[in-house]
Amino acid sequence: MAQNRRSKSILDSVGEEIIRIITPVSICMFMVVLMVCVLNTDSSDSASSSVPTIATIAYTETGSDSWWDKLKGALLNSLVFVAVITLATFLILLLFYFRCTRFLKFYMGFSAFIVLGFMGGEILLFMLEDFRIPIDCITFLVVLFNFTAVGVLAAFMSKMAIFVTQSYLVIIGVLVAYWFTLLPEWTTWMLLVALALYDLAAVLLPVGPLRLLVELAISRDEEIPALVFEARPVVVEDSVSNDNNNNTRFISTEDTELSAPLIDHRITLQLNRPEDALSSESWSLERIGLGSAGAIKLGLGDFIFYSVLVGRAAMYDLMTVYACYLAIMAGLGITLLLLALYEKALPALPVSIALGVLFYFLTRLVLEVFVVQCSLNLLMF
Amino acid sequence: MEASQSEVNPNPNPNPNTNNNVNRNSIMSSAPLWPTIDGPLGLTEEESLSYSRRFYKFGYALLPWLWAVNCFYFWPALRHPSSFPRIRRYVVGSAIGFTVFTALLCSWALTFAVGGEDLFGPVWEKLVMYNLADRLGLTGWS
Repeated sequence: MAQNRRSKSILDSVGEEIIRIITPVSICMFMVVLMVCVLNTDSSDSASSSVPTIATIAYTETGSDSWWDKLKGALLNSLVFVAVITLATFLILLLFYFRCTRFLKFYMGFSAFIVLGFMGGEILLFMLEDFRIPIDCITFLVVLFNFTAVGVLAAFMSKMAIFVTQSYLVIIGVLVAYWFTLLPEWTTWMLLVALALYDLAAVLLPVGPLRLLVELAISRDEEIPALVFEARPVVVEDSVSNDNNNNTRFISTEDTELSAPLIDHRITLQLNRPEDALSSESWSLERIGLGSAGAIKLGLGDFIFYSVLVGRAAMYDLMTVYACYLAIMAGLGITLLLLALYEKALPALPVSIALGVLFYFLTRLVLEVFVVQCSLNLLMF
Repeated sequence: MEASQSEVNPNPNPNPNTNNNVNRNSIMSSAPLWPTIDGPLGLTEEESLSYSRRFYKFGYALLPWLWAVNCFYFWPALRHPSSFPRIRRYVVGSAIGFTVFTALLCSWALTFAVGGEDLFGPVWEKLVMYNLADRLGLTGWS
């Protein structure tokens, strides 16, 4: 190898890190769009099965309500939901404060079990029914059992293969996001906006539960036991050979600022019985931040709500999907930029959700008319 | 100089970008240093032994996928026959177990799918999953 090798630019390391976060987010969104397109072809939007959950506890949207009623109902639903999430987050903060780490880890494994076993099983059954795949119950049960068991181990153990853990986290995100797209339309959009605002408040305000959680974790130098996606850290080896003295300088890892905060949070999902109403679920949202080795950590809640937005856009048309995908990626890029700038825990939802919602409504109301007219007049396809 | 360092001694400046790092090492030194596929981000050898053994034992609870994950995780031990002899025992056992179980399961599933009612008679309708789901109302949660 040549002595005077061209040193790797910052693009190689920073670009690689960004790609390692953007790829799983994109895969998650793609899978949710795919599932929405495949499984929802027969059911119309207004007759969507109203899943009685905590997100629709205040108001169940029907197709015949007036515009104003729907708005009020959706607002009420999202306020209830955000209130429940706030309580859940404070509960987790309390548990973490009293060092109930084992309980939290056990709860993570349990929620992974519920999501993968019940919701994954339901969605597999939907697909089997739609495509009439002749699988017998024994094979189905064995496959589901395997899938769930390894997933629970991946969520529970911190030292599983990185690829396996990441894949299972993405799958959990996909399943939960698909379930969220089954909510009524107005409630979904209002919920996204409310959660973006909650995220902003919880991470940046001094009394925000997420901020307190992160500060507690930093002060104790512990990791919060949570379902969080951690990108594989990029290690940059940079050698610059000084032509005069023939020195080579090494920068072994690029971000060893161990003071960079961990921003984690949890997704906890409780299902009492699958046929029954999903009566209670407690959510906590995840944040974006820097892990101790300089790896970027993005919360699973961010994955989920990005995918919910894109899934909802898919229920209208693919044009909105493309617009919202680009908006979310732009938002994520801006958030990563701010993260590099401020080097503290930042909320990943607000910018992306704001841009995504804006682009969705602009596309639906303005762009679609334009593009359809252009296509009809053979100007642009 | 930097390049040769990375080939002979990956410890100070490991490059986990490539999972094949240990394979590249093996070309030079014919013995991977890290038993897991994650390289330096993974487990040490002692931890690997206990993990591998636990995965192997738990796989007997009708979990061939766990055996497959075991093989994937400790791929360097499988790939290089001379390295990590203690771990290799469990990984090879997992590989054999996974192959056997998958072969059995696939043959049963294919027999069921292809044979259909001709082979099984009325029991087929009772065993097939979509009928079972309808009957038990498993997808009636919404």
